[in-house]
Amino acid sequence: MRLLAIIVLVIFIAAGTVLGALNADLVGYDLAFAQVRLPKGAALLVALVIGWLLGGLTAWLGVSMRQRRRQLRADKKLPAKP
Amino acid sequence: MNLLYVLAPLVPVAFVLGWWASRQIGARRSGAEVSELSSDYFRGLNYLLNEEQDKAIEVFLKLAEYNRDTVETHLALGNLFRRRGEVDRAIRLHQHLVSRPGLTDAMKTVALLELGEDYMRAGLLDRAEALFSDLVAMDAHAPSALRHLIAIYQHERDWHKAIEHARRLEVMTGEDEAPMIAQFYCELADRSRQHGARAEARDYLRQAFECQPDCVRAFMLTGRLQSEDGQHVEAVTAYEAAIKADIAFTPDILPPLLNSYARSQQMERAEGFLHDMLGRYHGISPVLALTHLYRQRDGERAAIDFLTAQLRQRPSVRGLMALIDATMDKIEGEARENFLILRDLTRKLLEGQAMYRCSRCGFGAKAHHWQCPSCKSWSTIRPIHGVASE
Repeated sequence: MRLLAIIVLVIFIAAGTVLGALNADLVGYDLAFAQVRLPKGAALLVALVIGWLLGGLTAWLGVSMRQRRRQLRADKKLPAKP
Repeated sequence: MNLLYVLAPLVPVAFVLGWWASRQIGARRSGAEVSELSSDYFRGLNYLLNEEQDKAIEVFLKLAEYNRDTVETHLALGNLFRRRGEVDRAIRLHQHLVSRPGLTDAMKTVALLELGEDYMRAGLLDRAEALFSDLVAMDAHAPSALRHLIAIYQHERDWHKAIEHARRLEVMTGEDEAPMIAQFYCELADRSRQHGARAEARDYLRQAFECQPDCVRAFMLTGRLQSEDGQHVEAVTAYEAAIKADIAFTPDILPPLLNSYARSQQMERAEGFLHDMLGRYHGISPVLALTHLYRQRDGERAAIDFLTAQLRQRPSVRGLMALIDATMDKIEGEARENFLILRDLTRKLLEGQAMYRCSRCGFGAKAHHWQCPSCKSWSTIRPIHGVASE
């Protein structure tokens, strides 16, 4: 299983390197407060990384908030004594 | 093709992938925690089942350091120990919990409350009182702590403090504690009466009536005070008011009431009152009282006729015994012997019988208590109605 993961990772790194080499020409971005020029491959990578991070953050926040709510509910229930 | 057209769909795809990966990691981590907790739980349970409770407690105490949920398990475990009578173990467990660092304030106060209950069960009332007082001062679980404090002061017969805390409880919860406070004042009045402080006793009774205007016990104590002071007419009024307030206490009120009627020479009033009671009260006490009255006034024959007629309507062992006693003198020979056997039988039947029962917990008693010795409720012990009793 680990070997398969390593092989997939190597394929993706190779593909990334090849794509990066083939799309080395620069593209410009106007971000209103700054102007950035970076290679097409790097732009692709940055977009993917930002999407990945936002997805991960959303899932993490959702889970942790649900747990917090459950804990608060349990804390409220506990002090009720006969 | 513009690069943005390629990037735009890739961002949501990466977003979904990132979301999925995060969920997977979270699920794997919590699963590891659960399995770690579960193994420790089972180890602890195993110790418990093998009667190695010290080791079980050690395991559960270590477990408490993982997360807050296990604290609740500890509290349940301590409760279990206390209910089983293993108070020392419950105290040790709760003391560990209280001294554990990192416990939230809410959990710590719950543990303190439980520890206080352990101390109460162990009879360490001074320690329990200190703990509950601290909880009240902190305003943490104050109603429960106040109830426990009231129970402690009742046990110590410190009625002034009991009243003070009952009033605080009333303000805090909005529940009506007036009947209980009236009973505390009655206790104070009775104590003052026994010590000869009659003015003080009257003052406490006045406060009892302020709390509960129809307090039977306060009426009965008033009657007793007045009877002891020779004010029998006033005593009769107080005793009659007691019966009107709660007719169930008739068997306890009638003997002193009849005494006051006799001393104030108001036997006609007594007859009227008792006749009135026959319609409202279905016990045997008024019948026996009237039988006694007729015997003194009209003779034995009239008394027996009245009693026989009443016994047909309300059969009662006590009534039967009174009838046997009344007719015994007129019988001779073998019939008399049989009547003697019957009388002994009925006497034995009555001797083993509980005359009162707590309406809350079912505790049976031969004598009347204002506070149930079992569940500690006030005014819940009442005369039993039935063929063999009232």
